[in-house]
Amino acid sequence: MILNAAHILSKMASTQLTDEELFSELKRFGFTPGPVTENTRPVYLKKLKKLREEQQQRGSRSGKTRSGGAINSTSGGGNTAGSRPASHDVTHLSSSRRPGRKSSVLGFSSDESDAEAPLKREGLNHSSKSDRNSSLLQQTKVRPVTTSRMATKIQFGATSTLNSNNSSPGPGGQRSVSLGWGVRARSRPSPEAEGRDYDESGDEDDHEGGMEQNSRSLNGSGAPHLNASKLAGDYSDSDEEEVMGRSAGDQLGRSPPKAGFHSHKAGQRSQTGVAARQVNPPDILNMVASRGEEEEVNRRDPSPASRCHNFARKPIYVSLAENRAGEAGENNHVDGEDEAPRSGSRSRFAIGLRPRFSNYSSLSQTYRGGHPNHTAPNHAHSPAVLKQRLSVPEDDLLQQFKRDEVASSSSFSAHYLSMFLLTAACLFFLLLGLMYLRMRGSGSSEVDGVSKCLTNVQAAIQLFILQGKWCLYLVSFVQVQNPEFDGFIETALEWIIRTGQDVGIRLTGQVADDPLIDVSEISRLESTHPKMPFMCRFRRAFLTVISRVFLIAVVAGCAWSVVYYVKYRWRKEEEQTRQMYDMVERIIDVLRSHSEACQENLDLKPYLPIPHVRDSLVQPQDRSKMMKVWERAERFLSANESRIRKESQRIDGGDFLVWRWIQPSLSCDKTLMPSKVWQGKAFPLDRRNSPPNSLTPCLKIRNMFDPVMEVGESWDLAIHEAILEKCHDNDGIVHIAVDKNSREGCVYVKCLSAEHSGRAFKALHGSWFDGKLVTVKYLRLDRYHQRFPQAQGSSTPLMASSLHGNAPGPTTNRLQHRGAAHSSGFS
Amino acid sequence: MSTSTQKHRDFVGEPMGDKPVTSLSGIGGILGEKLRHQSLRQGETPGPFLTRDLLAYVVLGQFLLLKKDPEMFTEWLRDTSGANSRQAGLCSQCLREWCDAFL
Repeated sequence: MILNAAHILSKMASTQLTDEELFSELKRFGFTPGPVTENTRPVYLKKLKKLREEQQQRGSRSGKTRSGGAINSTSGGGNTAGSRPASHDVTHLSSSRRPGRKSSVLGFSSDESDAEAPLKREGLNHSSKSDRNSSLLQQTKVRPVTTSRMATKIQFGATSTLNSNNSSPGPGGQRSVSLGWGVRARSRPSPEAEGRDYDESGDEDDHEGGMEQNSRSLNGSGAPHLNASKLAGDYSDSDEEEVMGRSAGDQLGRSPPKAGFHSHKAGQRSQTGVAARQVNPPDILNMVASRGEEEEVNRRDPSPASRCHNFARKPIYVSLAENRAGEAGENNHVDGEDEAPRSGSRSRFAIGLRPRFSNYSSLSQTYRGGHPNHTAPNHAHSPAVLKQRLSVPEDDLLQQFKRDEVASSSSFSAHYLSMFLLTAACLFFLLLGLMYLRMRGSGSSEVDGVSKCLTNVQAAIQLFILQGKWCLYLVSFVQVQNPEFDGFIETALEWIIRTGQDVGIRLTGQVADDPLIDVSEISRLESTHPKMPFMCRFRRAFLTVISRVFLIAVVAGCAWSVVYYVKYRWRKEEEQTRQMYDMVERIIDVLRSHSEACQENLDLKPYLPIPHVRDSLVQPQDRSKMMKVWERAERFLSANESRIRKESQRIDGGDFLVWRWIQPSLSCDKTLMPSKVWQGKAFPLDRRNSPPNSLTPCLKIRNMFDPVMEVGESWDLAIHEAILEKCHDNDGIVHIAVDKNSREGCVYVKCLSAEHSGRAFKALHGSWFDGKLVTVKYLRLDRYHQRFPQAQGSSTPLMASSLHGNAPGPTTNRLQHRGAAHSSGFS
Repeated sequence: MSTSTQKHRDFVGEPMGDKPVTSLSGIGGILGEKLRHQSLRQGETPGPFLTRDLLAYVVLGQFLLLKKDPEMFTEWLRDTSGANSRQAGLCSQCLREWCDAFL
């Protein structure tokens, strides 16, 4: 173990750990990673480095990191999640090497990358902080809710709640303090705001640009507003502002613009809630008819809450739901009526944003709408409800479980029902069978008009019937019993023959099925309705059934075995065929590679003896098994493969059948590296991908080249040409500068006006150039001039040097020619 | 639920099927292209010649490989595609909620 550790540590610097070693190393730190694949390897390597550094730091430092980590620990995440954000920040600070820092020019590109790091950090901090705050905020959020209800004035409740939020003690105060710090910290990189905004929001989701514009128009002040919009851009959940911005934009203006308040996430949330409340009452008024509806809706709330599993992460809305759940309980006590509007409301309320707020506003509305006797219990309940804030999410879950239990109990009854039905059916069939048996036995054949002596004979024969035997012995038995019945027996039998009735006796002669005429032909008597004892009957029936079932089973077994055999044969066939094809492919590969080898090495003969091929492909132990497969493969090749020819050659004095590969090898140019050419657009530029209008006349284009890979003297001119060619319809480009040292491959372009730059943006952004994806951002004009003072004076549009009103043909030719000179350096 | 964007809601609301990776919250055109480029990195010529779109379930697969750990996934996303932490966080959140809803 110790040797292992030392061995691994020695490998640490070179990061040549195998996957298993990486896995075990990570496990030593108490972190169980997922499978280590080529994709996840770099991530885990980074993690391992971080864990090691953290371990070292933990050894050197005091528990400061630890406590910071503990504070920052959120509810989600793994066991080391808590310490991870802290270490994240630490490593970000300590190990952030921004190579652009060293550039001689005013650190133009590095500014933005610098700006990214602190913002990332702050983003992380704020995300963790806000999560922490939000749990504290749950309590504070309830208070504005109750106050608004009490106030019965929703319209201006917004400002009052905002004020109350601002003035709420304890966590609220802390929040404003931290906000101020956050705001001040952000004001530093604010000049980069514009560029950054569109850089990030280029990938942002819908309406971000629209929202920013909206809020821009609302608040006139420059810097704090930039902070607000940028902070909005930073936060992961900032898109809630679209809801707020669009619907409640005017209310934003109305409330005193506090940049600190605006920028806080939780504050935004409450504002959203409040604002939406303000917006929705008008269209809720017609929807909410009775409190029964609302109660129904309230009851439906936990179900959307449980169904959309987002709620665990949005404590504010959980608190709102909790409110409603809490009050729904009271509603249930007070009014347990109104079934009728429920179905209507069910159809009307869908799961979504609006109904939830509508619920909320409807709740508050109905409280407003003159039920003073309920407000009193409300007040009494609200402190209790307040205390149960944290437990109510569990109540929601409990309710969900109860519903599940109810469902499961009903399923139990369904289970019992099915069992009952099954037993009933079984009993029924059993009874049916018994009845059938008894019916068989009860042969009640009432024969009328039989004379007394016949009845005597009948009685005797009944005896015989009881016995269930059929032979003539009984006749003699009767005769023996009572000799005077001798004649009667004859007449009786004759009578039986003549009568068409069924007397319960069937007479059969020597030859069956012949109609009996004479008594003397009778040889056997058979009773048609034997009165056998139950057991006997049952036994007979049972045997019959069993024999029949056995017969059927035998027949079915035969059929099944036949089918199975057929399937087995078929499967074997398939297997063999597959093996044969596999073998054929391998032979082809071998022959092809051999022929290629022959081309390079002219000593080899271009054919291979067949037995040699077989022996090289098939393992010795399989040779006898694969013999059949091999022969089939051979036949297949000679019949179907045109690239292989079978010949007879003399090798070393022996005649062999050989295979020769006769396909000329295709000469494919595998390394067709495109060089310095535009290769098409990756995605269409729509509102989501690009800013809606161009902001400045200056562009920064990234990822157009790799400074390490470029060779030659004038590759930057090629870049110039490429850009001009790409924007050949745009005659407003006045200055192009290639930053040769930037690792990101940056090119700076200045245009005559914003409109020209917008067109150039559309042409360039998202295109592929030289195998790289090009991205474009806007830059501020003054910064551009700071960096390139010579560009201040240029106002003549640049043109591609060979492009004087001609087609771009010569240009591309020249570019390709120049590119060809460089292509050797690329591959 | 209402603090998420339309894109987020659209993604988390139904099984992802064959949605492209750009339908993930936080991943727009550029990032999607970079991810696709990364996924094709093994010996094929880059993006413009291949019209095949990267599908969202490939990224889901990566998320699951990292055992649904949002931190690791965020790091991976930032490493491979150059996303910033906000975008990666959005994407990670989106995937996590999808997994909670459908896995």
